[in-house]
Amino acid sequence: MATAQDLVRLGLLFSTTGPYAALGREGLAGASAAVAEINETGAYGLRLAAEARDPGGWSELYASMAGDMVAASGARHIVGCTTSWSRKELIPVLEKTGTMLWYPCPYEGFECHEQVVYLGASPNQHVLPLLDYILPRFGSQAFLVGSNYIWGWETSRIARDIIEHSGGAVLGERYVPLGDADVGRLIEEIRAKRPAFVLNTLVGPSSYAFLAAYHALGQADAAFDQAVRPVISCNFAESEAAALGVVAAGQYVIAPYFQSLDTPENARFLAVAARHAPQMPQVSAFFAQAYAAVHMLALGIAEAGSDRPEAVRAAVTRMSYVAPFGPISIDAATNHAILVPRIGRADAGGRFEVVADAGEAMVPDPYLAHSSLAVGPVPRAGDRAAHLRVIK
Amino acid sequence: MTTPNFEGQRALILHRPHPVVDAIARQLVQLGVAFEAVWPDLPQGTAEGSFDLLFYDADMGHDGQFPWREGETPVPAVALIGSEAPGRLAWAIRRGADAHLLKPIGSGGVFSALVIARQAFDSRAERGRELADLRDRLADRQVLAEATACLMVQGNIPADLAFAKLRRDAMTERLTLEAMAQRVVERLRNGHVRNHSA
Repeated sequence: MATAQDLVRLGLLFSTTGPYAALGREGLAGASAAVAEINETGAYGLRLAAEARDPGGWSELYASMAGDMVAASGARHIVGCTTSWSRKELIPVLEKTGTMLWYPCPYEGFECHEQVVYLGASPNQHVLPLLDYILPRFGSQAFLVGSNYIWGWETSRIARDIIEHSGGAVLGERYVPLGDADVGRLIEEIRAKRPAFVLNTLVGPSSYAFLAAYHALGQADAAFDQAVRPVISCNFAESEAAALGVVAAGQYVIAPYFQSLDTPENARFLAVAARHAPQMPQVSAFFAQAYAAVHMLALGIAEAGSDRPEAVRAAVTRMSYVAPFGPISIDAATNHAILVPRIGRADAGGRFEVVADAGEAMVPDPYLAHSSLAVGPVPRAGDRAAHLRVIK
Repeated sequence: MTTPNFEGQRALILHRPHPVVDAIARQLVQLGVAFEAVWPDLPQGTAEGSFDLLFYDADMGHDGQFPWREGETPVPAVALIGSEAPGRLAWAIRRGADAHLLKPIGSGGVFSALVIARQAFDSRAERGRELADLRDRLADRQVLAEATACLMVQGNIPADLAFAKLRRDAMTERLTLEAMAQRVVERLRNGHVRNHSA
């Protein structure tokens, strides 16, 4: 059993190749930067030894790789997974080996596994406040486009529920297989139906192809310029926006973290990122959340005096940690992070200008048990559904 | 399909103190469901309407725990199954399992069990109402057919004219068609009818 003075082994399980490689690379780089920083500064009185594996985007490989990592190194904590399928595949291994997964990505909710700490946003912290911002500004006739798996299906379903509760309508809903880039028909349909906005839950190359095609549509027909009919997203990273450039300009994204956040903790974090992850000039919530995951687990181990997962979980749910995106804590009832969502708008250079900020942390509600699904033209006082403070 | 929501509902967990109860309780808290764990009996004077959802132990449960008859479980019910022995499963089904959870219970499963149980219970209740309604209407049709036949024989007229007469008489007497038909049939049975064509 490791103590605070020992070497703590951990596993990093991110697909740095495959259909969502960009997000996997962010996660690995963020976690690795934290490991390097912690070892260099001796911040928590312990040293970390991380072993990384790449399942290449194949959900079936996550369980066996995790099992191997845990058996070979004795690691009791894994930071990793991007898609929900990969996380679900890991659950039996986590239960069998008593390992804790630190999951650093936004997801579609409706889960609260005791062996998982959820560092990313769940629906009441992403799609709900995002729609609360967008509907009054652009209208409530939506088009939903997503990757053909649970993130796309369920986030779109929740969006539909919110839109219909708010007096709007979904004009179209389409799914594209993960990795597929065939979006021609989608664009034609959007052009014909003229929605007020498009909610994009596509991941990876599908998303890039879609944004390129939507940009071309906006060039051909000014009614589809992003200033008039924007694309909005809960899963888009700065590195992706930078690669797309002007194609992604004008898009709205919700996340707890943007590289452009003008705070002292972010300034410190960006210096660390530049030092320990110089290969990544852009860092996103996917990077920052993985970075925060490693810090939180190290903090928990130091506090608990042990890397025993239950002890670490109990410790982190009692503490607050100053992440790059501000102070966060883990809600003991749900194992999810209490987060401050922000909305950014992409410029032509891949940077996000923060246009709205919730101001205070939102308690996670993974089963949407306590959240009102009606978002109105004017935020009502006392309405639990997102109350974003507008900056611009 | 709107997001299922159980916030504010009340659940009874009929199971002895056990990690199973703790696991269910933890999930119910996340769903905003108030709960009470009871064993070996339901609270004294458990009135219908005092709770909305029921979890019950299929391993050690028995008929004496339930004040309602088989098939009359008043709320969506989730059976908690440890042993898969057929006798225990049959008992759980008789006691109205709309969904089930297998022990040991972990971090998930309660939400999906409640969604499925709710759907099964509502659909069973709806089918019961529909069946009762259809039975009533079937009975009405039999009486209508018999009354029409009566009038056909009495007046030596075809079915459409007999039915038209039935409708007119119902209007004259200010009765529903079904009530008029009932009266015609009763008259026949009580011997108040003569065959006018004879």
